[in-house]
Formats: sequence, C-alpha cells, structure tokens
Amino acid sequence: MSGERLLDLSERWFRLLERLYPPDFSDNMGTAVVETYRDRARDALRRGGVLRLAALWVRALVDSVRNGAGERARPAVRWRRSGNWGRDAELATRRLLRAPALVLAVVGTLGVGLGLFAVVYTVVHKVLIEPLPYKEPGNLYFVWRDYRAFFDLGRGWLAGTDVAELQKAGGVIEDAAGLLRQLTTFAAREGADATEISVIVTSPNLFDLLGVQPVLGRGFAKEEGGPKRPPVIVLTNELWQRIGADRAILGTTVRLNGEPYTVIGVLPPKFGFVRNASLGPPQRADAYTTLNINLAQTNPSAGSYAGLVRARRGTSPQAVAAAVDAVGRVVDARDFKSKGLKLYPAGVAQDLVAGVRPALVVLGFAGILLVLVLMVNLASVLMARAAQREHEFAVSRALGANGSAVVRATLFEGGLLGLAGGAAAALAAVWGTRALVALAPLDLPRREAVVVDWPIAAIVIGLGGLLGVLAAITPATWAARANLSSLLASSAVRGGGGGRGRLRRAMVVAQVTLSLVLLTTGGLVVRSFDRLLRADPGFTPDGLLTVRVPMPAQFIPKVEEAYALQQRIEQSLQAIAGVTAVGATSTLPLTAAASQNGVTIPGAPGITGNPDRDTPLVDVMGIRAGYVEVMGMRVIEGRAFEPVRRDGLREVVIDRNLARQFFPSSEAVGAKIPFGNDGKNVLTVVGVVDQARLYDVHQDGRPQVYLRAEDAAYRTLAFVVRSRRDPQSLVSDIRSVVRQVDPRLALADVRTMDEVVDNAVRRQRISAVLLSGFAVGALLLAAMGLFGIVSGSVTRRRHELALRLAVGADHGRLVRLVLGEGAALVIAGVLIGLPGIYIAGGLLRGVLVGVSPLDPLTLASVALGLGLVTMVACYLPARRVLRIDPAQSLRQE
Amino acid sequence: MGTDRERRGLGDRLPLRRVEFHILLSLASGERHGYGIIQDIEARGETAVPDVGTMYRALARMAELGLIEGAARRPAADAADERRNYYRITDAGRRVARGEVKRLEALMRAARLGRLVTKGAK
Repeated sequence: MSGERLLDLSERWFRLLERLYPPDFSDNMGTAVVETYRDRARDALRRGGVLRLAALWVRALVDSVRNGAGERARPAVRWRRSGNWGRDAELATRRLLRAPALVLAVVGTLGVGLGLFAVVYTVVHKVLIEPLPYKEPGNLYFVWRDYRAFFDLGRGWLAGTDVAELQKAGGVIEDAAGLLRQLTTFAAREGADATEISVIVTSPNLFDLLGVQPVLGRGFAKEEGGPKRPPVIVLTNELWQRIGADRAILGTTVRLNGEPYTVIGVLPPKFGFVRNASLGPPQRADAYTTLNINLAQTNPSAGSYAGLVRARRGTSPQAVAAAVDAVGRVVDARDFKSKGLKLYPAGVAQDLVAGVRPALVVLGFAGILLVLVLMVNLASVLMARAAQREHEFAVSRALGANGSAVVRATLFEGGLLGLAGGAAAALAAVWGTRALVALAPLDLPRREAVVVDWPIAAIVIGLGGLLGVLAAITPATWAARANLSSLLASSAVRGGGGGRGRLRRAMVVAQVTLSLVLLTTGGLVVRSFDRLLRADPGFTPDGLLTVRVPMPAQFIPKVEEAYALQQRIEQSLQAIAGVTAVGATSTLPLTAAASQNGVTIPGAPGITGNPDRDTPLVDVMGIRAGYVEVMGMRVIEGRAFEPVRRDGLREVVIDRNLARQFFPSSEAVGAKIPFGNDGKNVLTVVGVVDQARLYDVHQDGRPQVYLRAEDAAYRTLAFVVRSRRDPQSLVSDIRSVVRQVDPRLALADVRTMDEVVDNAVRRQRISAVLLSGFAVGALLLAAMGLFGIVSGSVTRRRHELALRLAVGADHGRLVRLVLGEGAALVIAGVLIGLPGIYIAGGLLRGVLVGVSPLDPLTLASVALGLGLVTMVACYLPARRVLRIDPAQSLRQE
Repeated sequence: MGTDRERRGLGDRLPLRRVEFHILLSLASGERHGYGIIQDIEARGETAVPDVGTMYRALARMAELGLIEGAARRPAADAADERRNYYRITDAGRRVARGEVKRLEALMRAARLGRLVTKGAK
C-alpha cells in the first residue's frame, strides 16, 4: 500500500475519532486536530513505517476517547465557573420585576400556603420529632402501675415503695426517681404577695437522671432528700425571671406555703420538664424541692408518685420492659398477694405526645397534600407564563440561543419565585406559630418549644425554592422544545394545544384530587368538632365564673377553720351584687383532677358476686351544698345536698352510671356505701345525677361519687359563681371579698366555665381551623386552575365556536360544551381521589369524635361543595361564549 | 467586574500545567501551528510528549482566557505547503509565562540551597 493511501486512511480514522469531541470543540479545533494528526502520521510513516503508524492510530484512539470525554464534561464545569448563574439571576429577576402581578400572586399563594405548612411542620417537628432537652432522652422512661387485674385503671401512679424497688433493681435500670406535684403558695420574701405555683417534689437525683445542670448554683445533693432533709429549692428560669432575675438569689430564703426554703439553683431557660400524669395532661412545674420522707417506708397501696427511670445506654425498650416487669412481680407478690398488679415503662417522649400524635400525624399529612397542591398550582402558573412567552422562546431559539439556556432561565425563574415565596412563608410562619400556640390547648406537650427557628426557616425557604424548580421542570422542558416551525404549526391549527394542553389538564385533575381529599378530611374534622361543641357536658357553663382558693395546712392548720372560711367566702360571694348563686367543688368538670377509689354497695341488686366487677373504680369529689344547682346538673333521682347537714348522716350523691350498675331497675336512693379506710364510714345515697363530665365533653368518664366537702376534709375548693354580670367584671369584686375574709388567701385559676370547656376542645378546634384552612385553600387553587383551563379553551376555540354558531348551534349548547370539558376534569379528579378519601379516613379514625371517617352526610356535602365551586369556576369563563359574534369573529380571522 | 475575575484567574493559573507552559514557551519565540508546537516539545527532550487532543484542548482554553490568540491561517513550509492554523502569544500570556519562570527559578534557588544541584547545572 502506498504512503499516500495510508495517509488518506489515517486521515479518515482521525476524522472518525474527531466525532468523539463535542460539536462546539470540533467546530473550532476539529480541522486543526485532524491536520496535526496527519502531520504526525506523515512523520511516523517516514520514521518508522507502518508499525509506527499503527501505534499512532491506537494512541490517537486513546487520546480522543480521553479528551473527547473530558471536553464533553467541561460545559458543566465552565457553566459553574464562568458566573452564568449571577447573570441568569439578574436576568430572571429583571424579567420577574416586569410582571409584578404574577410575582405578587405566586409569592402570596406560596407565602400563605407554605406558611400554613410551616406552622404545622414546626409543631410536628418540635412536638413529635425533636428530641427532648435531656441527656439521651431515649433512655428515659416513666413507669406506671397497671391495675387492670382489679379494676379499670391501666395507668396508675406508683407507690413510693415501687420507686424504692426500682432504685434497688440495678441491671439495665441505671437509676429511678419518684415525683410528686404540689400546688403551693409562693412568696419570694416573707410578707411579699403570695402567688400559687406548681412544685415538683422529687428524689434528689432527678437532675442527674435527666442530665441537666442548673445555670446558676447547683442541683440537689444526694443527702438532700429523705426525712430531716434541709429545705432547699431549685427554681425554673421562668419563675426566676418572674421574681426579678436577680443573680444574688442563691442562698436567699423563699416561702412555700409559709415555710422557708433556701434557693440553691436556677435551671436553664430551655429546660422544660413535665411530670407525665396518670390521668389528664402532663404537669409542669415552677420549682423543685425534695421529698422529706423515705420512699421505702411509704404506704404500698397509695399510688401517688410518677416514677421516672433511666435505662443504661444501649438498652432496648424490650429489655427495660422486662426489667420493670420483674420489679412489678416483686411488688405484686409483696404488696398485692400476687393478684396481678403490673408495672410497665413508657418512653418519656412517646408517653408525652401519645395524646396528640394522631391529630398531629393527620395535620402533617394534610400539610404535605397542601404542599403538593401548591406545587401543581405553581407549575400551572409557570406553564401559563411559558405559554405567553412561547413567541419569545421560539424567536430566541431561532436566533441561536441553545435549549439549555432557555431551560436554565425557566428553572431559574421558578426557583427564584419559590425562594421568594418560601421567605414570605417563613415570615408568615413566625406569626402563624405564635397564633397557633396561643390557640393551642394548654396541655399541648412541649408548647414552649414550638417556635420557628433558623433551621426551620431555612428548610421552609429551601422547600419553596425546590418547589419552584420542580414546578418549573415541565414548562422548562416544554419551552426548550419550542421553535418557530412548531409555533407556526400550532397557530395554524386552531383549537389544538397538543401536549401542553393535556399537561395542564392533568394538573387540574391532580388539583381536584388533592383538594377532594383535603376537603373530606377538613369536613370530617369540622363536623367532629361541631359534635363536640354541641355535646352536652352535663352542666351549663354560661355565665359561670370559677376561682380556686388554696387553703394550705400551713396557714390553716385546723380543717374546721377551713370549713368556716369556705362558708364565709360562700356567703360573701353570694352578697356581691348581681350574683345569683354560688357553689364550690374540689374538682371542676373537664379538669381530670379527681381522686379515684374503688367502691361497692353490698346487698344491692346489681351485685354479681365477682369482687372485681362489684368494686368499680370511681372518681371521688367533694362539693358543697348548692353546687349541683349552680352548675345546672340534672338530678334524676332523690335530691342534691341541702344546706343543713344532719348529724350522724353522711350523705353522698352518685352518678347515673354507678346507680345503674348496682340498681339496674330500682331506685338507688337510700343505699349505703361503705367508704374510707376499712369501710368504717357509711355513706347514704341521697340522690342520683347525670355526670358533669370530668374528662371529655362528649362522653362519660368513670362513675362519679360526690361527697359533701365538709365530710371529707377538702381544704382547697374551687368556687363557682353564677351571675347576671359579665363574668370578667366580677373578678375584682371577688378578689376584694376573699381578701376581706382572710388577707392571707390567694386566688388561683380565675376563669369562666366557658374557658374551661373551651380548653377541653382546643385540640379539636385547632385541627378543625387548620384543616379547613388547608381544604378551602386547596379548593380555591383548584378552582383557579379550572378557571384558567376553561378560559384558555374558550379563547383558543373561539374560531371553532364561532363556526359552530354560524352553522346553527345556539349559545346555550356551546356553553354546555365548554362546561362539559371542565366537568370531565372534575369527575376524573374525584374518581382518582376516592381511594385517597378511604386512606385519609383510616388516618382520621383516631381523631374523629362521633363521626365515621366515611360519614355519608359529610362526603355528600363535600361532593356538593366541590361540584358547586368547580362548576362556578368553569361557568364564569364559559359565559364568554355568549359574547361571541360569529360574523365578527370569523371576519377577524 | 470581568477584569477582576480575569486578573485573579491569571494568578490562579500558576503553576501552569506542563502542556500549557510548553505552548507558551514555543509561542514566545514566534507563531506556531499545532504540530510545530509538538515538534518543539519533542526537541526540548521531553519524554512524554502531550497527545494532540490534550494540546488542542489546552490551546482552546488558553485562547478563551486570552493567553494566546489565533493568527492567520496560512501555508506551512514543513507540511507540504498545506494551510495550517497558527497561534501567537498575547501580552497576558507572556506575563503568565514569566510568572511561571519566576516560580521555577525560585524552586531552582531552593534546590541549590538544598544542594540538590551543583551551581550552574541545568
């Protein structure tokens, strides 16, 4: 083969290899590369013959593969390096500023929508996800007594002896503490104004157990507990702030119920410990003192301590449960004759949030749906914008802008809009969260931690940006394909819309689907809330003001003195102008604060012979005569207490459920109930009432027993005042009246009964408000989407519609035609959404009260509402068909 | 704004890649076409001569950065009078090359102080 021929072959090989380079490089350098290789080939052939040439071929292959790949990878690098982003941002900002209405609309929608989501996210994150502010909170457990072998109480307080046993247990149980809670009067100095505070009385190891150190001073030392312990107190930061935040407080003396305590420490600001309760909400504390008794020597049958244990690091919950169960068996054998008492642990965090988890999970999912709705909405807005700019894209493509530039610009615009919306949302969430916390039930766990912080704000803004970019992907890819010829083609074929039209329709269907699910969820929760509001709690809260007057034994050593004070307070309250009636109780309804006892009525017809069933656990409360009447409770048999007590007769009023259990068909009045230690006292039933519900507004709790407060040594009572006056205006009168009776007495928990009821339904109220907000928002967005589709379709099909009119169709028919298009989308959305309703129903089951997740009435009204709104959204633009004048329209074309 | 970035870019380029320094060295003594540069490199006794693709990618990048520029396409005496793309060095390219030379000189001084080279050795 001749040299020339070989060189020609080589050149062909080099040209082939040159294709490995990206086009822009080839355009510039390709020829030169091939020429240079050709020069080399000529040299190689001259110097070493065919062999050397073959080696060059191979080398050229390796070179081209390597450098071709390198060069192809380079645009991405150059794009990053050369600062195109800055220029893109500048251009995108400028373009957006030219469309302020669009920016406002998008930022507004995202701000509100994502803001709502951010609020929910904040609450869910802070309450359910963020670890509690203790050392290794996963190893902390509360321990409860399970009495279900005897009566219906699955979560009872521990006895002091149980705590002592847990402390001795060793093994995986590193340490244990017992906690009591007391409400006491507190004075920063002797003679200073007394306020009531909540104090947790604990084993001295509590802070070590939690792994928390005071910021000022120290925690309790080991020997500062038990009998003859020194009276020392550790204040929460909040209480410390309230009394002046003086660093010199260490070593000073404060008074609890008049007794001196030395301040040894102040806790950090973020320390928020609550004592999870056997029943009712967790209890927070303002200060901590130590137990002045030996836990091992307490009464084993009296459950009154919350038990807190720390497990050794790395212990599985099962191992902890086994260890606690073993302790439980020791206790059962020793103190309960092995009748089946059990102890069990519950993780502190799970225990704390167990009550709100179902509602928060529903809210969280609803929030995610809302974000999806927002994304679809944003995508369709960007699509519409891209459609407007179709010309611009096509022209710039024709002028040589490459596809990636157009894609980049569109993505950038979406991202910028999203970021702006996210920022607006973060701001909105700051206020929204505050509003929510103000609205939230007082017992919302970790309420104090629910604040929008920087990480959350960053997540919300980032989510906004991400949404923007995701929403821009479809319009971006579509814009990249736009070119002059397709533009000309699409404007030539009227009424088309092609793939883009289908895409926008799919988006509307998705919006309808999502809003259907949100609407159903919202509808069900609102209806359940409505049921709650309409529920009869067994008393009439209107016009009632309640106030608690603590009478600690330290001030008023003799209980008779307390009775006398109660009597005088009652009389003075009655004398206030406008007051119509006064009553008093140890436990207000809906506060879950009664004590529990097992009671039985020997010889009653309802006795079954099964001692467990015949000794139900009941809520015991003390009331003064007149309480039943003031509260508007219903007496169904006998009478309530009379003002005059009869000597030698201890009266009791029981509730309908207890009466029915023991007297299924006869009157309970007159029955005798043995009561107190070893049943020495006998109570005589004088009346039967309907429950003034203690736990939930919508259902009865455990059976109730009302004693006369004077018979059962109740010192601190809540007074209930019914008046014709505005309850708030009464407060100062009540205050001065109580002060006149005894200046040492403080008022606590001044609130109207309506507030008490309101607080009991707050959780549901919040869910209802948020979810209906989500649902309405989603529905509006879907309606806007439909409006856009139908109005676009009318514009696009103007020509076709005009033609139809010209050949004899009437306007009504055409409106129906256009409406039908919208209706088809709605129906498709609803059909797709139906399984979603079913799934949402499953999630909702734990949240709803008195409403089935598939409640036909709610579903029907949701369907009706959705249908109405969407049809209006279709009809408004469809009406424009009526204005089409065929002659004029066709002439214009 | 642009010039700032470029100036910083030049400083950032030191040390130059081997192929880049070779290119600047060749062009410093006059315009060259691609194969001419390769021949120069071979003449300098370099054992591993850069591949053609590697060199042209370097040329493209250096042209983008303004270190070199394309000269007129004209016939080359050594390639059977075929026309070739010629390149020439720019002032910026010269500055960068001098910078690199200074850097190498400093290294040489250090090597001498460390007695790694006898005085006068290349």
